[in-house]
Amino acid sequence: MEKTVRLTADQREDLVAYLDGELPDDKAHQIDEIIARSEVARHEVEALARTFELLDILPAMRAADDFASKTLTNLKVMEQPFSLTDQWWFRYFKRALKIGVWIISLVLCGWLGFQTTRNWIPDHNADVLRDLPVIENLDRYEEIGDINLLKEMKRNGLFDDAQEK
Amino acid sequence: MNAGSDSEESGYLYDPDVQLMLRAKQGDDDAFSKLVVNYQDRLTTIFYHMTQNQEAAEDLAQDVFMRIYRARHGYQPNAKFSTWLFRIANNLAINAHRNKKRRKEIALPTGESTSVNSVRAEEQALAEKSALMPQRQLDKHELQLVVQRAMDQLSERQRLTVLLHKFEGMSYAEIGETMELTVPAVKSLLSRARDGLRASLEPYMQLGKESR
Repeated sequence: MEKTVRLTADQREDLVAYLDGELPDDKAHQIDEIIARSEVARHEVEALARTFELLDILPAMRAADDFASKTLTNLKVMEQPFSLTDQWWFRYFKRALKIGVWIISLVLCGWLGFQTTRNWIPDHNADVLRDLPVIENLDRYEEIGDINLLKEMKRNGLFDDAQEK
Repeated sequence: MNAGSDSEESGYLYDPDVQLMLRAKQGDDDAFSKLVVNYQDRLTTIFYHMTQNQEAAEDLAQDVFMRIYRARHGYQPNAKFSTWLFRIANNLAINAHRNKKRRKEIALPTGESTSVNSVRAEEQALAEKSALMPQRQLDKHELQLVVQRAMDQLSERQRLTVLLHKFEGMSYAEIGETMELTVPAVKSLLSRARDGLRASLEPYMQLGKESR
């Protein structure tokens, strides 16, 4: 090989693998020979080696101090079966539900109580309204004095006429 | 992990991390916790150089451990533990990159995180300073930015290949297994990556020597 001949793509790939110690012995031996004979190859190898050395300056990072504990906690949470009662909102939902049930129960009790007790208290106005026609004619009925006659007159519709007037 | 031959499996049983994983499979959480401690910095480093964001790197590292933990019941030791772990990391990095690209296409140009923006601003300032004084001595931090910028110019796969090789000391075969590539494909990726790095870093090589 001439001193200034450019390397082929395959040879360049082999040079990188050679530097990384990844070439089989026979190929590595060939590269040794190429490097010995070619200045271009020697220059290539040196440049590639220096390039890779420059990567040493890249920093090795450290995870945060609590990385492991945070990761393990997350794993535990992830592993737990889904439970409705463990949800953060469930406590509030439970409290709201309890208050709601109390409100509905109180309203229901009030309504039931009202419905039950409304017939227990006598309504005097209703009685007066019911008996109004009799009250209005009470003087006349008292003058007649005989209940049987009054019933007979009612049956014959005499009071109806009187009421219409 | 899928089943492999018995002889292969028995070979990997000597890997202490495989032993820890097998204990984790049996429900030993302390063993899993040791695995997390063993790999947290290594994963964070790889993801940091993929994302240039410490927080995003730690989130991705945590995702890797979550996936491993979820898969522990079906674990079969048919590869080195680190190979399996970094394969998951590789898949996550690809997904994260894809999502980031998709977000960039949709979102306004303010999509990048503040820390990335600050790194970009520093890089810009450095580029301007270097242009004014090409021969001046670079300090370590500046050189780190230059190298990081050169790494950013590599494709996602090339960058991961370089990182696994450089930081994890993986062989081509191990990188191939991790990234589900053939050895010649790894060789080609690394060769192109190193050519790309060389092109970006050549002007700084001498300065780099002096800085370190």
